[in-house]
Amino acid sequence: MSAHQGDTKILEIKDLLVKFGGVTALDSVNLHVSEGEIAALIGPNGAGKTTVFNIVTGYYTPVSGSVTVEGNSMIGLRPYKIARSGLARTFQNIRLFGDMTALENVATAADALNKSGLVGSLFGVPRSRRDEKRSMEKAHELLTFIGLEHRAGQLSRNLPYGDQRRLEIARALALEPKVLLLDEPAAGFNPQEKVELGELIKKIRDRGHAVLLIEHDMSLVMKISDRVSVLDFGKKIAEGTPSEIQNDQRVIDAYLGVVEDAS
Amino acid sequence: MADLSRFNLRDRFGDWWDETSPIQRGFTRVFVIALFYALPLINNPVIDTPETSFQSVLFYPLVMFSLMAVGLNVVVGKSGILDLGYVAFFAIGAYTYAMFALKTSLNFWEILPLAMGFAMLAGVILGLPALRLRGDYLAIITLGFGEIVRIVAINTEAIGGAAGLTSIPGPPAFFGHEFTVMDPRPYYWLTLTLLSLVIWGVLRLSHRKPGRAWEAIREDEDVAEFMGVSTLKYKLWAFIIGGAVGGAAGAVYASQIRSIQPEMFTLNLSIMILACVVFGGMGNIWGVILGAVLLGYLPEKLRFLSETRIIFFGLLMVVMMNIRPNGLLPRKKREVVKEKS
Repeated sequence: MSAHQGDTKILEIKDLLVKFGGVTALDSVNLHVSEGEIAALIGPNGAGKTTVFNIVTGYYTPVSGSVTVEGNSMIGLRPYKIARSGLARTFQNIRLFGDMTALENVATAADALNKSGLVGSLFGVPRSRRDEKRSMEKAHELLTFIGLEHRAGQLSRNLPYGDQRRLEIARALALEPKVLLLDEPAAGFNPQEKVELGELIKKIRDRGHAVLLIEHDMSLVMKISDRVSVLDFGKKIAEGTPSEIQNDQRVIDAYLGVVEDAS
Repeated sequence: MADLSRFNLRDRFGDWWDETSPIQRGFTRVFVIALFYALPLINNPVIDTPETSFQSVLFYPLVMFSLMAVGLNVVVGKSGILDLGYVAFFAIGAYTYAMFALKTSLNFWEILPLAMGFAMLAGVILGLPALRLRGDYLAIITLGFGEIVRIVAINTEAIGGAAGLTSIPGPPAFFGHEFTVMDPRPYYWLTLTLLSLVIWGVLRLSHRKPGRAWEAIREDEDVAEFMGVSTLKYKLWAFIIGGAVGGAAGAVYASQIRSIQPEMFTLNLSIMILACVVFGGMGNIWGVILGAVLLGYLPEKLRFLSETRIIFFGLLMVVMMNIRPNGLLPRKKREVVKEKS
């Protein structure tokens, strides 16, 4: 589909089995995201899309299966280590650091890639000063990229809704993710904002971040995705290009329901 | 003209501070610090306290509470970890000083880092298991830790048992200032110096990576972790720094009071310091100090009411928490609002 798309799989999820008590949330799910790709994950409510994100980012541990980033296993790593190895996410319900400014929100994530420690910060050793400067420059650069530079000094909880959504994306980008995981970024957006978001996601892809997108807005998904995977009741029922997915009978059934055969 | 809708003292002061030159700032700092060092020299019936001399109130509780409150603020205000056993670090500092001063020939200046070190170690020992928990559970563990330290002290004869330790030597003379039992002023100046250093350090950390990590943890611990913050490491650091400050306070206190008993280190003191932090404004170092000064000073000033003063004190807390639930000087940041160009 896209000129950016390579064959290298960056994120690979294999045979994922996840149970909450007796409920099987994900059952032998295989997914991957390739370099330079915008992949989408769709499915009805409760299909297990956000659970995929929570597994991949280390919040839950799967019963079995593997998650690898460029061949390195992420299973069992603490979430902060996974975040530093190239998977950054946003949240379905916005979860910014409300009492911190927009700039600080982004800088906090940018800090994660700096090695300097607390003692260095206390005494202002050269490395800590360099790191501080780097975090701030990166935060400003990302706010400019996302179009929020004029909001830098405002508390994130005082920002308008749309700006908060975009700020979450900027914060995740500060981790320089190999794959950016977006959880319903268009929720609550009007049509115009959705178009702008689509452009932004493409710009993010062009910066060199692959994107895995969970989204309910089909026009957005179909317009920007290179590949779409469909989850239903914890199972992957289809995968393909947007046009393939739109014509797939199983997908149509999953969304619209099937008339049960009485026999 | 200042925008009236934004008018408040904090923004007023902040705007003024932003506009001053480095030289003006330097002079202001020196002036304010000098003012605080000069406080024991003031002899004024308006601020004087009945029954206890003002100089001695300045040392304990005012500057002592301030020092501890600033330390506890790193844990409670900055990182959002409710610590109900802060007195344990104070006790460990006091006992470390007392034991080394009695059993070895080390002097105060040599033992002070040791006392801080022991308190930091206690922070690690408590923190490693406890910080895996959150909220109420963590609060209960810290509460238990405070009690354990006190009860261990009561039951350990080697450190004096219930009778405690007596005739603890004071610090050696410092540039002609004798540290005597009768004169609390040198101890006030000593603690004020420690407090200034701690404020300097905490402010530095607050404006850099550790400060952002702590705030992120306070705002949303899960998200902080997702954003690459090693939450366990920074929570542990908060405990260690809080512990070090509490330990230093304990060492100075033991060197002044000259005899310590386990019953000095009860839950009441933990709650008192926590009250200073909450009353003054969690997360704001100046608010916390103001809270400590007011909560330390008022009970002394109200001594003429004898035991009923505690009721007035409690009433004041209830009223204040209703009027300003975020404390006298809340931690709310100054926002820089720029028009989109």
